Amino acid sequence: MNKLDSSLCDIHYMDVIVERNRWLNHIYPLIKLVVTICFITTTISFSKYDLAGILRMGVYPIIVFVLGEVSFQDALRKLRVILPVVCLIGIFNPFFDRQPMLEIAGVTVTTGMVSMFTLMVKGIYSVLASYLLIATTPIEKICHALRLLRVPVVIVTQILLTYRYIRLLMNEARHTIQAYSLRAPNQKGLHFKVWGSLVGQLLLKSIDRADGVYESMLLRGYNGEFYYDTRISCRAKDYAYLATWCTVFYCLRVII
Amino acid sequence: MHMADALVAPVVAGTMYVCSTLAATYSVKKVGVENEPKKIPVMGVMGAFVFSAQMINFTIPGTGASGHLCGGMLLTALLGPYAAFLSMIGVLVIQCLLFADGGLLALGCNIWNMAFYGCFVGYFLIWHPIVKHGFSRAKIIGASMLGSIVALQLGAFSVTLETMFSGITELPFSLFVGTMQPIHLVIGFVEGLITAMVLLFVYESRPQMLQGTEKTNLNQSEGKFSLRKVITFFVIIALLIGGIFSLFASTQPDGLEWSIERITGSTEIETVNSHVHIVLENIQKATAVLTDYSFKGTESVFGTSFSGIIGSMAVLGICLVVCFAFRYLRRKKKTI
Amino acid sequence: MNAVHISVENVNYSYEKTHPILKNITFTAKEHDCIGLIGANGVGKSTLLRLMVGLNLGYEGNICVGGIPVVKKNLSAIRKNIGYVFQDADSQLFMSNVYEDLAFAPRNYGLSESEVEERVQKALEMVHIEHLKDKQVYKMSGGEKKLVSIATILTMMPDVILMDEPSVALDPKNRRNLIHILNGFRQMKIIASHDLDMILDTCSRVILMSDGKIIRDGDVKEILFDKELLEAHGLELPFCMQGAVSV
Repeated sequence: MNKLDSSLCDIHYMDVIVERNRWLNHIYPLIKLVVTICFITTTISFSKYDLAGILRMGVYPIIVFVLGEVSFQDALRKLRVILPVVCLIGIFNPFFDRQPMLEIAGVTVTTGMVSMFTLMVKGIYSVLASYLLIATTPIEKICHALRLLRVPVVIVTQILLTYRYIRLLMNEARHTIQAYSLRAPNQKGLHFKVWGSLVGQLLLKSIDRADGVYESMLLRGYNGEFYYDTRISCRAKDYAYLATWCTVFYCLRVII
Repeated sequence: MHMADALVAPVVAGTMYVCSTLAATYSVKKVGVENEPKKIPVMGVMGAFVFSAQMINFTIPGTGASGHLCGGMLLTALLGPYAAFLSMIGVLVIQCLLFADGGLLALGCNIWNMAFYGCFVGYFLIWHPIVKHGFSRAKIIGASMLGSIVALQLGAFSVTLETMFSGITELPFSLFVGTMQPIHLVIGFVEGLITAMVLLFVYESRPQMLQGTEKTNLNQSEGKFSLRKVITFFVIIALLIGGIFSLFASTQPDGLEWSIERITGSTEIETVNSHVHIVLENIQKATAVLTDYSFKGTESVFGTSFSGIIGSMAVLGICLVVCFAFRYLRRKKKTI
Repeated sequence: MNAVHISVENVNYSYEKTHPILKNITFTAKEHDCIGLIGANGVGKSTLLRLMVGLNLGYEGNICVGGIPVVKKNLSAIRKNIGYVFQDADSQLFMSNVYEDLAFAPRNYGLSESEVEERVQKALEMVHIEHLKDKQVYKMSGGEKKLVSIATILTMMPDVILMDEPSVALDPKNRRNLIHILNGFRQMKIIASHDLDMILDTCSRVILMSDGKIIRDGDVKEILFDKELLEAHGLELPFCMQGAVSV
């Protein structure tokens, strides 16, 4: 049950930091999205034994953490979701890939060990990079960037509406679950008997909510098309940001 | 079940993005929002519903363990496959952005593994054939269970393939598959039960909401949906995946061929593969930048040395020091 | 410009054939009227409001808004002129921040972005919430959400405002503020509520409904001070009057 609470907390927290008035928060969203994708692509394109190369890529998260004044501890908490999976997959490498690779202080390091570390570093970097994007860019602006990338309007509206109603429905689910657990104190989760009715009720409530939303859209002249705010624009500073990072990634990946 | 960015190679990520995009484009075309603008808010709110329902713990009867809902099958029965698929994309995008569940690059894979099978395979091959002549409790339970189990099996298998082709794990293919499939059988079973329970509730309270019988609107447009189209679609996807993966496999010997050898126990495929290789050589040249990047490492496997790692760490160290100094100075400036 | 008026003639309506919700409803409303629509839960107040904006069609009888009959092909024209405030602000506010939400209607009617901005600013001023312009919807309190949802309909400068239970879930201060703002509007207003004190403070005319029918239609004080009439139809005297009687 705690997952609902902690996720709601997470969302609220993100709202707060995303609205801060920092230099990085004002970079054009599309540019930040592209830089993030470039970084992740470059990072995961490193060979699985190139630990030295991949470590260097850490330059990006470090600098961006400082530029965006994002808390490192919060970012670490985000790692808890994905890191276990990555570790679980990587942990087997030392057992199956035992070619000796190098020697450090008399201890032989095998290829499997190196590839395990490389994998973990890749995992950490890519999560950090995504976090840095979302900690400095509101979802609405990312959606606007997606529109600029020609993602169909149906999908983008989808994402926006889902995001808008997540809190509401999560809160509703939380209240229902709380009411349930007050009357069923010794259960960790939902008893089999109420699976259908409890979730079903929640579903019907959501459908009614959707009807209400639709009616309210209709009354305000909705006819299938969403219009977006077009006032923000991409400036020289934004292009410079993009160019700088692309050059850095290129250097780190290819030249050094 | 979410794949992380670290678990996919760029080529695999790209391929899966292409596949998911194709499916999404087709869905956007078929969902017919022009005729039914109401679908937009319904899809959005249903996405939010799935999102919150995923966070509820379901106690599995007889055990202390708890299960969760993924939602693809549930949505497809309520919204039809196209709208359900688009809803699931919304859910996955937000999970990836807000909760770092899955990654930006792995999104294509995740959409494919978690939304495509549940929505499309679940609907066209299972839900629709079973309920098309009318609903009954037994049919709903059967279709939900079967649909969820099949979707999760396919999804888990795709995760395994994508991870193997990305070449990031040394885990033998058979062992990997042997662990993934049974685990997801259990997960699929629980998911199926939850889905069945919820759908039964809907069936009893608002039966008109369920999709898939001959009478529902969806099917009028679907009458035109021929088997040929489905097959063509799957063939194109298979060719695409096969093409790009064999391109990859030909440069990485212990990738595809290795696992195929294990599966089929023969080397016959290798000849086919080398044939494909020739055909694909041009494409490979065209995409040389990518392949070079990804496999540059294979020659320099042993190029990584202790000193190299130390050097990199030094770079990071300097970077850290400079950044902290910068931060410190800026703060000082602010306080003054 | 013509005086906008609403006329409802002999309207019958039912969701299911066996249970009529509205029975033979007839009334008219003129420009600048402020009408309180009162009655116990489930007597069809909301349904009546929904019929006027065409959210439910298929009624018997005639409904005209500004001389245009409420039928499917006229809906766009009618809705441009009539604002409907939902009981639940969360259904009304579907965009994530206030500006976007307020801009939704004018953008749909094809106004340019500068006009949109002007409309939004004006609507915010009318309900005195300029400071909420860039606020996220989910961060606002219930009272703020209500005011914003009223502002969303003002962006289209409607001649008629319909409200479904506007004061429900508001604290006393917000409720007072709402009454103040409502009294500042010159448009025709029809307010469905069982907050009789608020009706007393905002409306000049009251329509009392019970069991799908109009029981009385008349001056606000005449109806709201009639203890027997109200109690016969599941309501009570406004609280301010209860105090006066007991003292």
